[in-house]
Amino acid sequence: MLRYLAKRGITYVFMIFLTTSAGYFLAVSSLKPALLEQERIPRPTPEQVANSMRLKGLDPDLSPWERYVEWLTGIVTRWDWGRSPNGAFVNAEFGDRVWISTRLFLASIILTLVIGVALGVYSAARQYKFQDRVITSYSYLAYIVPAPIAYFLVQLGAININETVGERIFFVTGISTPGMEQGWAQSLDMLAHYAVPTVAITLVGWGSYQIAQRQYLLDNVNADFVRTARAKGLTRNQAISRHALRVSFIPVAQSIAFTIPAIFAGGFFAEKIFAWPGVGSWSIDAISLQDVNAATATLAYGSVIFALGAILADFATTLVDPRVRVQ
Amino acid sequence: MSSGTYLEPADPTSHSAAERLQVAGLYSPSDAVLSVRDLNVRFNSENGVVHAVRGVDFDLMPGKTLGIVGESGSGKSVTSLAIMGLLPPTAEIAGSVRLLGKELLGLNDKAMCAYRGNDIAMVFQDPLSSLTPVFTVGAQITEALTIHNPTMSKQAKEARAVELLAMVGIPSPKDRLKAFPHEFSGGMRQRVMIAIAIANNPRVLIADEPTTALDVTIQAQVLEVLHTAQEETGAAVVMITHDLGVVAGIADDIMVMYAGRPVETGQVDDIYYDPRMPYTMGLLGAVPRVDVAEKTSLVPIEGIPPNLIYTPTGCSFAPRCPLVTDACRDGEPELLPAGGQPGHKAACIKSDALGSDADVLEIFSAPPVPVSRFDAIPRGERATVLELRDVRKHFPLTKGALLKRRIGTVKAVDGLSFDIREGECFSIVGESGSGKTTTLLEIMEFHKDQDGEVVIGGLSNKEATTGKARSAMRRELQMVFQDPTGALDPRFTVYEVLAEPLQNAGLDKQAIRKRIMELMKLVGLQPDHVNRFPNQFSGGQRQRVGIARALAVNPKLVVLDEPVSALDVSVQAGVINLLDQLRAELGLSYLMVAHDLSVVRHISNRVAVMYLGKIVEIGEVDRVFDNPRHPYTRALLSAIPVPDPQLERTRERIILQGDLPSPLDAPKGCNFATRCPVFAALPAAKQEKCLTLEPPLESVPASAAAQTLESGRVPPADQQFACFFPDGELAEDMLVVHETAEPHAP
Repeated sequence: MLRYLAKRGITYVFMIFLTTSAGYFLAVSSLKPALLEQERIPRPTPEQVANSMRLKGLDPDLSPWERYVEWLTGIVTRWDWGRSPNGAFVNAEFGDRVWISTRLFLASIILTLVIGVALGVYSAARQYKFQDRVITSYSYLAYIVPAPIAYFLVQLGAININETVGERIFFVTGISTPGMEQGWAQSLDMLAHYAVPTVAITLVGWGSYQIAQRQYLLDNVNADFVRTARAKGLTRNQAISRHALRVSFIPVAQSIAFTIPAIFAGGFFAEKIFAWPGVGSWSIDAISLQDVNAATATLAYGSVIFALGAILADFATTLVDPRVRVQ
Repeated sequence: MSSGTYLEPADPTSHSAAERLQVAGLYSPSDAVLSVRDLNVRFNSENGVVHAVRGVDFDLMPGKTLGIVGESGSGKSVTSLAIMGLLPPTAEIAGSVRLLGKELLGLNDKAMCAYRGNDIAMVFQDPLSSLTPVFTVGAQITEALTIHNPTMSKQAKEARAVELLAMVGIPSPKDRLKAFPHEFSGGMRQRVMIAIAIANNPRVLIADEPTTALDVTIQAQVLEVLHTAQEETGAAVVMITHDLGVVAGIADDIMVMYAGRPVETGQVDDIYYDPRMPYTMGLLGAVPRVDVAEKTSLVPIEGIPPNLIYTPTGCSFAPRCPLVTDACRDGEPELLPAGGQPGHKAACIKSDALGSDADVLEIFSAPPVPVSRFDAIPRGERATVLELRDVRKHFPLTKGALLKRRIGTVKAVDGLSFDIREGECFSIVGESGSGKTTTLLEIMEFHKDQDGEVVIGGLSNKEATTGKARSAMRRELQMVFQDPTGALDPRFTVYEVLAEPLQNAGLDKQAIRKRIMELMKLVGLQPDHVNRFPNQFSGGQRQRVGIARALAVNPKLVVLDEPVSALDVSVQAGVINLLDQLRAELGLSYLMVAHDLSVVRHISNRVAVMYLGKIVEIGEVDRVFDNPRHPYTRALLSAIPVPDPQLERTRERIILQGDLPSPLDAPKGCNFATRCPVFAALPAAKQEKCLTLEPPLESVPASAAAQTLESGRVPPADQQFACFFPDGELAEDMLVVHETAEPHAP
């Protein structure tokens, strides 16, 4: 297993290096932060701009290759991912952002999975009955409605609750109220901020898992081995839950492992709407602010997370399916 | 199982066994363990109500075996699932099923669970999909024990699981408990299924086509395991099959089903030797026999079984019955006593007239044996249509993702040489994995880079470098495939299917139309059906379309890859007769691959037996089948069940141990040494020879040949085999005779 991991790890490090380098060249040749500088009032002279850029390691006069070598040397020798045009250090910014994204999505990912898979099993066991139709229709609706609209609807709902009660229970945006004292009040404040985005992301997210789990389970409820299990003396529901469930979970496990990183790296709608400045919104902002280093850093983060997802998917498959062996 | 081997006093299984004895004591021994009365099953389908089972009655006595025989769609599997309560809830089931006097029908799923796997257990057809892939074999056996014996200790369950695996003949059972189903071969998985079924000593064991998906040698092993299981548990067995041979040796009673109804029931000998229903007679006549060199055609049963959506107004067999009269269409005949023997009943108004003196060939007007114009010419004087010289196909076995290392070679075909003459049918037989299909593919490949020479109609693959030469070869040789449904494009009409090869051959429209009409008549299809799609035909008709397509370009040689194995027995006979007739009329040669040796014997002139990529015995079909010299041929032939109960009961059977070895583990000397019954009985000194030297393919030994030459007229026999000790003794423990042998240890 360790050897396998090492082998896969080396392959992925190489691939991450390639994508990140390609991303850097793309960014360095298309993003021109010097142009934005010129919109300042009073307008700086080109020499001033070039000077200020040079000080931040973003010299516009160097060729892309020279800048690449400089950037790469910084990372390899000092783990320094460079600076933004506004002078901020990417390294410092990055840690905060990742932590914010993780906090925003962690709870909702777990909830999405548990609810989605459970509802999938529940509806498969009641195929074409009223409960199944309601749940599956909802899932398809959640699938179709664009995420931003669903988030807005949840925000409106939360505001409605606040107004009905006549007190502000939920915050619909932001991470926390500044200047809170440590202790009970702070935890409560965090929860009030946390509830709305978590509910919103969960409500939108579980649909795809429910549909997948229901479908894969239905493929297996009439399998020969379920019939064998019933012939041993298990009831239909016992046979399904003991035998069909695990087999049907194999493809679901794999898709889960791949979607988790996608949410971490690409949840910019949720981050924007709920005003949680995480990695997703940062990557979009970086592009609009012509920020070469930040854009490349988010790209690298995305690649790392995807590699982790791929390894995780392999792990998940070997864990639930004995037919797959790691060589 | 006997109580002697299992004496833990606190053990729950022995307790439940005692309980069962008490329950059984309420009934006299003659009382049936399973009684089915007027069982009816209906399904709602989009087209209407399908009445799948109509009035099945039977009593199963303790320790006896009932064989339920019928073609696909006759309702035999539905009957078994109805008894087990495993039909979908949408099925309407009526009648009565009593197990040890207790009514099972009408019980809900939960209540049925007390019986399923406990008093009544089942073995299913497809062992590959019947075990849960993600659980170990041990866990799946233990589960069956846990369900019905919740208080049994973990150690006791494991001990019992090991005992069960040993009983069904799985080597080193203790280690194999931890194995997953995918690590087992099909035969081994079916053994595990049997182990699960007998885990709780059931009173009734239902086996639904338990060997249909398996090779003949493995089938013999599994039937043997079922026999042992029945002896150990004393269970009554319901054996469901389409193969009249399989049940001939092991059943006490037979029930023949047709269109959802039992049409004839009785003791096994009465059914086989004195059938009183034309359908039974036809079925028996439709099966070729492996043990007789017959010179008669098979009995074809024309037509297809009725659609069960419509309530029959007369005998449901009437549309296919050659003896039909108007009276037959007037109400369904009852199942009434026939033939005089107790228990023998037939649902036919003419059963009294159908004594044992009735000639089934005459009744069904079987066609006369076709004679080819080549039959009179000695083989040596006929032209060669196909010749293989030392053809090899080795697949490298590699390991590693990026840098492939060769860790071995799979010798799928290893040095094959044979020839086929005009007007001859040459067959290749062997287990799956022996290289039969690869041989066909190598012939069809016909490329100059192949290892070995393939000569088709005088054209060698070494010379055929241009596309033109290769397409000329395609006109000489055509192929008929195993699965007629998969081999025909569902979006093509029959006309388009048949026109395609003719267009390739460059015929004009007029000529194509004319040829297609000819072909339809030739294969016995109605010419006005050319605009139908394949799904509007039955399986047998589809195979006829496949044959017509192969014949379209007038080939000399037709390659038949398992041409009838996907067809029902009664339909199969018609297709075999057609092939026989076409060979004679058109002077065709066939190269056939088949696993059914009875079919091979019936249709072939010469036969080659393959084992692990090599021919181990080759020769004239009657010689090889009547006097097999290679131990493998002998084992193969003895493994085939014959539809003759008396013969089947006393026949000596060679049960090969284990499965076909992986080609990687193939021994250095004789490939067959690992499973050989002769080798096992040889003294160590002689074994050495088998292990180190590869036996060459040679004619019958010099002494025997000399004798035949001395007598003058007889030419040297057309039979070659590859074995050093063809006359060696067979190992005792691989021989089984049921009637005379004492109950042997597993």
